[in-house]
Amino acid sequence: MIDRRFFTGAGGLWLACAAVSRRARAAARAEIRMRSDVDGAAVWFDPVGLWVEPGTTVRWVIESNVHTVTAYHPDNDGHSLRIPETAQPWDSGYLVNPGDAFEVTLTVPGVYDYYCAPHEEGGMVGRIVVGAPSGPGSRPFEYFKTLDPVPSWLDVPDAAQRNFPSIDRIVAERAVRRH
Amino acid sequence: MMKKILFAGVLALAVTSAHSAWSGNASKTKPAGGAYKAVSTLVPLPDHIPGIGSLYVDPATLPAGPFAAYDKSGALVSSVYMIPLEDMNAQKKFSGLAVSGADAVSVDMYYNAGHPGVEKPHYHVVIWHVDPATADVK
Repeated sequence: MIDRRFFTGAGGLWLACAAVSRRARAAARAEIRMRSDVDGAAVWFDPVGLWVEPGTTVRWVIESNVHTVTAYHPDNDGHSLRIPETAQPWDSGYLVNPGDAFEVTLTVPGVYDYYCAPHEEGGMVGRIVVGAPSGPGSRPFEYFKTLDPVPSWLDVPDAAQRNFPSIDRIVAERAVRRH
Repeated sequence: MMKKILFAGVLALAVTSAHSAWSGNASKTKPAGGAYKAVSTLVPLPDHIPGIGSLYVDPATLPAGPFAAYDKSGALVSSVYMIPLEDMNAQKKFSGLAVSGADAVSVDMYYNAGHPGVEKPHYHVVIWHVDPATADVK
């Protein structure tokens, strides 16, 4: 017999499931700000290092200055491969105005290194670890020079190399900020 | 009569010469004129850049410039030269750079990590033609 308690109970269960589902969806999003001082001397992703679950949608938002969010991948002007081999590379193009945003859903576990095109040589780079760290992004910057044949990829600039937080620190702290 | 014609000819030549000399420089009010183009039409940068203003440049002079900077009222407030660090480290010589023709009030020099148009880390050399405190470039 279906009575009012059934509907009440079923409704409560549905509401509970919906709430859990909403929380799951909310947990599957993350935001990274693209920042700068007024002179354009200091430019950075905030946080610069982030750990997320597979399937998380990461959204980058312009706070100041002009930036791109571009994956380290040969498709992007011959940069070295530093995202998982089976992941899709991305390039936001220039984001010019405060509030402009770009987002990517990261489903393949591994390490994702990315840069800002006009500021890469100034050291504006970021790293995301999705689930368990693995893949090209977990290897040394020069790893591709041991491949046969050696691909004609670009070196990661020194200033960029210095600004990547370590994978261990990202995994331990979940979010690493510049200062 | 002949003297008057000669005088008029000399005067016209003087005016033309003065104009020619000026045409290589930026106008004191926006737009800059001549070979100068709005930077926002050349590369993906906003028309107004906080702290600098609206920039115009002759593309042939990149990366050094000068970039003519105008405040929100359209007045020329500074001339900016952008010198890549790698050129400074290579002791590259920059000479004969154009000037705006406006008086210099003060000079700022500061590091910039790069931006569309001058992607390499570089120094901004800012020749202010007005008191920076009065320039409406926020």
